[in-house]
Amino acid sequence: MHITVKCYATLQRFQPGGGEDFALDEGGTVRDVVLRLGIAPEDVAVIFVNGLHAPLDRALADGDRLGLFPAVGGG
Amino acid sequence: MDSSVMLRPLLEQAAIPGTLPDGTPVRMLAHGAVGDVARRAGASLRRTEIAALEQGLVPERYLRNFTTLDAAGQARLLRARVALVGLGGLGGHILEGLARMGFGRIRVADHDVFEPTNLNRQLLATEADCGTPKADAAVRRMALVNPAVELDAWRDRLEGQDFARFYADADVAIDALGGVAFRPAAEAGAAAAGVPLIAASVAGWTAMVATALPGERGLAGMFFPHGRAASPPAEDVLGCQPPALLVAAGLALSEAVRLALGQPPRLGGPGGRMAVVDLAAVSLDRLSLRG
Repeated sequence: MHITVKCYATLQRFQPGGGEDFALDEGGTVRDVVLRLGIAPEDVAVIFVNGLHAPLDRALADGDRLGLFPAVGGG
Repeated sequence: MDSSVMLRPLLEQAAIPGTLPDGTPVRMLAHGAVGDVARRAGASLRRTEIAALEQGLVPERYLRNFTTLDAAGQARLLRARVALVGLGGLGGHILEGLARMGFGRIRVADHDVFEPTNLNRQLLATEADCGTPKADAAVRRMALVNPAVELDAWRDRLEGQDFARFYADADVAIDALGGVAFRPAAEAGAAAAGVPLIAASVAGWTAMVATALPGERGLAGMFFPHGRAASPPAEDVLGCQPPALLVAAGLALSEAVRLALGQPPRLGGPGGRMAVVDLAAVSLDRLSLRG
């Protein structure tokens, strides 16, 4: 299956080239994606799947849109 | 005599015909006339502008707010109370926008003084102001930009319960703090005061703004519920620069106008979602803080 991945702010350096069409095994979770991208799970502050807050162990489905955020609090 | 009774005929006398850029005729008050009328009636500039708008007269300084605003909407902004914590990169630009839009009563808080590292982005920071309090600069800026604004500047460091006191009686609360430490307390304080909170934050090319209605989870509750991040927050790595700050300030200002006009929020609440703009990719995402 394929999902869309977007990494924000400091996590942007882990953004995969094919982020619009990221291949993932059936039953793969957010944690699987995070580890495959080389991101330390503790560096991910907030996860969104299809625009809704999701936990690290969320199983993903074909066509899901995954957003990974670090903490952002600057002004 | 009550100043409001004296205002009406003085305003009528001072009214002149004007036109909007599209040719629509309006009755307006020339810029200097507001101050003259206010002095003669013994009324404040803000009250004088409200009275003028209620008579259908547009003070010249607000002419280009029309017809995005109408006279009733402009008067409503002049009556609104906004409380803004933080006068740094976000806060300076937001305060400037509030004053120019014509928000009439603005409470601000910042305990800090300007330092040279603020000069890359903070509207209120100038070479001459380094080492001086940010709240003092806000007072000077409002006098220069829109003296009708009644500014209540707090110079204390707000912590814990202070935020509920600071946001009390406001129509709109804004969190423009820098860093994560005090944002959860600001969110809790706005909720305790029963005031909707618009929170903005930036790092590098990323800008995010969310509104939390009282009792809802906001930006702080989602991103750093304990006032600290598990790893260094993104702004400590990427810094903060004007492009993302100005986008965040614009998003926060548009939401503040909606709330002050009594319209539903678009960046939170039942029908809204937070906005995240990534200026590196030039993308806009709308994300829900519910659930």
